[in-house]
Amino acid sequence: MSDENDDLIPQKQSLFPLTADDIVDNALQSLDEQQAKEVTKKAADEVVRIAVEKRKAEYRSDRAQEEMRNLINNANLLDEKVGDYKINSTFETATGTTSVEITKSKTNFTFVVVGVVLFLLLILLFVLIWLIR
Amino acid sequence: MLYILLAILFIIGLVYLYRKRSPPAKKVSRSQENANLIKVLLELDEEPREQLFNLYKEEFGDNAARYARQTYQKWKAGSVRPNKQTFRRFLIHLPRVMSFDLKCEVLRELREAYCAHDNYRISVYTDDWKETLTPMIQNVVEKALTAELPESLNKRLTWLAEDDVTVANAILAESQARETQNSLMLLEKEFSNIEKVLDNVPGTRKVTHALKLPLGEITLDVKRRRGNE
Repeated sequence: MSDENDDLIPQKQSLFPLTADDIVDNALQSLDEQQAKEVTKKAADEVVRIAVEKRKAEYRSDRAQEEMRNLINNANLLDEKVGDYKINSTFETATGTTSVEITKSKTNFTFVVVGVVLFLLLILLFVLIWLIR
Repeated sequence: MLYILLAILFIIGLVYLYRKRSPPAKKVSRSQENANLIKVLLELDEEPREQLFNLYKEEFGDNAARYARQTYQKWKAGSVRPNKQTFRRFLIHLPRVMSFDLKCEVLRELREAYCAHDNYRISVYTDDWKETLTPMIQNVVEKALTAELPESLNKRLTWLAEDDVTVANAILAESQARETQNSLMLLEKEFSNIEKVLDNVPGTRKVTHALKLPLGEITLDVKRRRGNE
């Protein structure tokens, strides 16, 4: 009788669905020996691949550093010799791409200054005319 | 008369606005879907792609393999659309006989093409990029760990639900998460280089860095605080 009653008591069971970890654990348990070996090998290969990719990225970073140093030198040389210039450079770096745009335009700056001065003179003129009236 | 014309113009305007706000959904045909999947498959690196073609030859014979090799560039470019049989051969039959290693590589391509990608664009200063980026990258890491292929794809490619593929998926997710974390570590040197450019170059400087992650891209507009100049 008591055994029958025990059967009727609901077993302690989670009401939540399986987590992603549970699914992977279940899948791992269902693999045969050969598959399990392949999985272990692939996981090890991935660790190596990530390490190799990181090393490659570090190399790209060193190269980008060198290229950026050249950019700084070139920009400073241009700055000494030329008034207006624009440089666009792109570098393949460890984690992506860096784009640098450098512009220097003395002509534009002169135009802006002349424009502002003219505008101020015009206002002054209007004020003077208004005062004389 | 004028009121009628105005009313007609008003209605035309309303219809125009409605159409502009709700463009018709672009429905991708099944054959286009198949072509896209083949295209993704052919993005494999040279070595696994060779393995794939060798397997294709073993399973479907010399002629079929020769045709596949000759046409693969056209399939990849989209100038020739693969037929249903080709799709079934490549993506339904072959995965059942692929090695675990090759299956992982195919799955990697599928994840890159079909898992949701996050793209951000933010402005950072050379002195606060770490504080701004760290939580964002942690978020991308979390997403890489939980990224899943779309349900519609899982329904079509039923082999994706098999146990070994589930494990492969977990390995690749972990791998993508680690790669993302590595990017954060490598950024330290990148920012030091960028800072040197901003410090030592005359004129107006505009620096943008596109941070490429396995499941997304963060575009950074890098600035230097005026006080530091």
